[in-house]
Amino acid sequence: MKTLLARLKRLFSSPAAAHPTLEELQHLFTSRYLHFRELLTANNNALEAMAEMEKALLDGRSYSMAFIRAKSTIITVNVFKMIDNLRYIADGRYGQLVVAYRNIEKTIDELIDQSRPAVEGDWVLPLTRVNRSLVELSGEKMANLGEAGTVKDIQIPEGFVITSGAAQAVFSHNNLFTEINRIIQQTDARDLEDLHRRSHQVQKLIMACSLPTELERLIKEQFDLLENKIGRPIEVAVRSSGLGEDLGRASFAGLYRTELHIDRDQLIDAYKAVLASTYSARAMTYRLTKGYRHEQMLMGVGCLLMVEAAVSGVCYSRSMTGERQCMEIFWAPGSGKGVVEGTKDTGRLLVKRHYPFEIIEKKGTPLSVLSDKQVTQISEAAMKLEARFGTEQDIEWSIDSSGSLFILQSRPISVSPWAQSQPDPAPLADQQLLLRGGVTACPGAEAGQVWVVRSTVDLLGFPHGAVLVVEHPLPEWAPLLRRASALIATTGSVAGHLATIAREFNCPALLGVRDALNVLQNGQVVTVDATSRFIYGDRVDQVISCNVDKQNPMHNSPVEQTLKAVLSRITPLTLTDPTSPFFRSSRCRTLHDITRFCHEKAVVDMFGFGERYRYVKGAAKRLVGNMPMEWWVINLADGFAATYDASNKYILIDEITCEPMLAIWQGMHAIPWAGPPRVNVRGMGAILFQSTRNPGLDPAAPSAMVQKNYFLISKNYCNLSFRLGYHYATIEAYISSLRTERYVTFRFKGGAADESRRIARVELLAELLVRHQFRVEKIGDSLAARVEKRSQNVLYNCLKILGYLSIHTRQIDMVMSAPGQMMRYRNKFNKEIKEMLSHGKREN
Amino acid sequence: MTRYSVLVVDDEQDFREIMVKKLRKKELECDGAPDGETALQMFSPGKYDVVLLDVKMPGRDGIEILQEMKKIAPMTEVVMLTGHASVESGINGIKFGAFDYLMKPMDMERLMEKLDAAYERKRSQQQKIEMAQIKKDMAMPS
Repeated sequence: MKTLLARLKRLFSSPAAAHPTLEELQHLFTSRYLHFRELLTANNNALEAMAEMEKALLDGRSYSMAFIRAKSTIITVNVFKMIDNLRYIADGRYGQLVVAYRNIEKTIDELIDQSRPAVEGDWVLPLTRVNRSLVELSGEKMANLGEAGTVKDIQIPEGFVITSGAAQAVFSHNNLFTEINRIIQQTDARDLEDLHRRSHQVQKLIMACSLPTELERLIKEQFDLLENKIGRPIEVAVRSSGLGEDLGRASFAGLYRTELHIDRDQLIDAYKAVLASTYSARAMTYRLTKGYRHEQMLMGVGCLLMVEAAVSGVCYSRSMTGERQCMEIFWAPGSGKGVVEGTKDTGRLLVKRHYPFEIIEKKGTPLSVLSDKQVTQISEAAMKLEARFGTEQDIEWSIDSSGSLFILQSRPISVSPWAQSQPDPAPLADQQLLLRGGVTACPGAEAGQVWVVRSTVDLLGFPHGAVLVVEHPLPEWAPLLRRASALIATTGSVAGHLATIAREFNCPALLGVRDALNVLQNGQVVTVDATSRFIYGDRVDQVISCNVDKQNPMHNSPVEQTLKAVLSRITPLTLTDPTSPFFRSSRCRTLHDITRFCHEKAVVDMFGFGERYRYVKGAAKRLVGNMPMEWWVINLADGFAATYDASNKYILIDEITCEPMLAIWQGMHAIPWAGPPRVNVRGMGAILFQSTRNPGLDPAAPSAMVQKNYFLISKNYCNLSFRLGYHYATIEAYISSLRTERYVTFRFKGGAADESRRIARVELLAELLVRHQFRVEKIGDSLAARVEKRSQNVLYNCLKILGYLSIHTRQIDMVMSAPGQMMRYRNKFNKEIKEMLSHGKREN
Repeated sequence: MTRYSVLVVDDEQDFREIMVKKLRKKELECDGAPDGETALQMFSPGKYDVVLLDVKMPGRDGIEILQEMKKIAPMTEVVMLTGHASVESGINGIKFGAFDYLMKPMDMERLMEKLDAAYERKRSQQQKIEMAQIKKDMAMPS
């Protein structure tokens, strides 16, 4: 039984700092507590930010790199603070944490700041040298066009490409990325007005920058070469060719600028304008929604000889409306701009996908007529391109005055075709039909308030969930498609850029509704049935499509991948069991592990405070009370009333301002102690036997250790270590206005009876404490219980219960083996605790 | 009666001027400096309780100025302002002894919370040091 004494001794004295002075004790306490509080606050901040990041991933909302950056920074900074504070509390231990932290932080930083590796290659390339294999340099659009040019009998305009390498040179020459990131980080993406302002700021920055001299020389040189070849003054079209643009899932249709009829003098400015359009408001919104990173969007730019087009248009090598054996050709006189911006009356043809390319259907009344020969020419080209690229193509073309067909662009179709509704569906009879007809650009049905947008000014006030009504489906309305429930335009066709984007965002779109602007009024609620081409004058729930499988636009995007990669270093928790031998700083794999580790260790160190540092002679004030025991109080900070005279040797309970101590005190006095239980002879024998072997346990023997019980207090903190009869217990609490810092702990150990009875008492205590929301751990005859982060009231009640139990469980271990005693005490304690707490409630 | 004093260091003139005005309204003594060099000239031990310091400035950057300030007056608490925050720039400030960092744009409430907390720390640290000094003087009267 020598272990019991050894255990008690260990509990009562600290090996290192045995007797600090009062000032030292107060200083130790306050500074440690300050650091402990900072650690808890940092822990909270870090966990909150982790939750927000996980939520973003699960919600399927769009989020930006700026979001990932901001949240990661919050987490890493706060984890760093936790480590710092823990090492202070633990006197510099846990150096391994810093190593683990540094590794994780470095990985995260690399994931987030992964800027494009330097692009290797020429700054300027003639289009004849460009093909798919040079996509990294030329950008998607020009790589496709160059590739198309290598197909037999396919003609593309002559020209040259200013590569992404050149763009990178311009950006680094002017140190643009740093500044652009600074501007973009501060953008509130939900605030369209702010977005426009920032976009303008960035574009101005790019327009004002200077090109490296060598680049300017190379561009002019290519232009002159082209002019010499043609043999007369020429004009070019300057078109964007971004990286990642025109990929299968994201078309970036019409988001970037195209400058037409550019001569030699305007060339450099036109180039900068196209570069700047990387940051147009519509491109920024699109990237944000689809999860693309702007640093990755290095723009190649194509300079193509202008084609004097007699007729232009678009060809889908497989029809979007699901007539699987047909391709679809759209056309209008002049350049293709009118078709893709939906401003011109556009003709539409359905043509068989195989020779002799029979025309199945003809719609629209454009002024010029496309000859059957030309239709065959276009169809042949389309099938050749589809064969070369291996997938269905969305092709822009022009035919010049001499009748030559030029391919201007060829890209994969970005969304899957949809099934055509039956040819002539009937409107619902009992509903008010406002409009009918038009073309389905994206199927589906939604209701909302009409909101007519005529200029960018109207764009800013656009309410969430409104039906967007415009004259022409221009690409500049693209930012609104994220918020609009449906789109209506008076002109346009399936082939327009805005139609493409509407499909990517799954926004029901009905185009070519001629009378829309005459009939629809701002603010009026309508239902747009884009599939069947009806517009009803109210909300019609039975036609509104249930878009259950509305896909997440961010799915698999670069930004989503970055978030996933970053999260894998932040949130998984691999250290779960503090009692495991692997619960070590060197085992921390993620930032969550580190927070868990810091929290656990800090709590252990703080909770051990009252254990590690014992009382100071002379600093303790004897509490004047009605109990026979000696209670002493040590003031660590502001635990005594301001009026108390510090030279006194005694203190009254009324002079104590420490709320947790007062709660314990209340619990101790709520119900008078019934006195020691009546012990049968065997029980008493066991106690006497132990007492003779361990003189320290004899309550009659005078010993400073046995006689005095100490409260260490401040206003919000209380640590009480005491012996009552034969058991030893500690109550510690910190209760302040900050929820995250609050806790109550209780440790209980020992007793004089034999082990089985002591264990029985611990069992009973554990049961009572669990009932009152404590988390309890038991090892043998000792018990540790904890409650944290509950309301102040709950915690004060917990302290009252502990106060009560400390008094009333005295010596009951002696009778624990008697039959029925366990039950008797359980009932008595439960009843009295209930009485005490309800009494307290009435007082409040 | 001012509660404590703040120095705002930021090269963005609009931001700086608005900040100084707003902080004065909150009963703080407040000055502004357009760059790090000027800030260091205005700075001396005990003159400011808290410094609000932009990380990104032309000339010497915020981290450098932070280190200088901590050398001159270790008790002064510095709150870093970052625009384009990367993990790196957020942490560096803390490593070199900044109290915390704030990301632009921020709302006034958060800013005040941070400034108050920074001042609270400065005050309690200072008190501790003063107490230790008094004790030392009493133990070894000169």
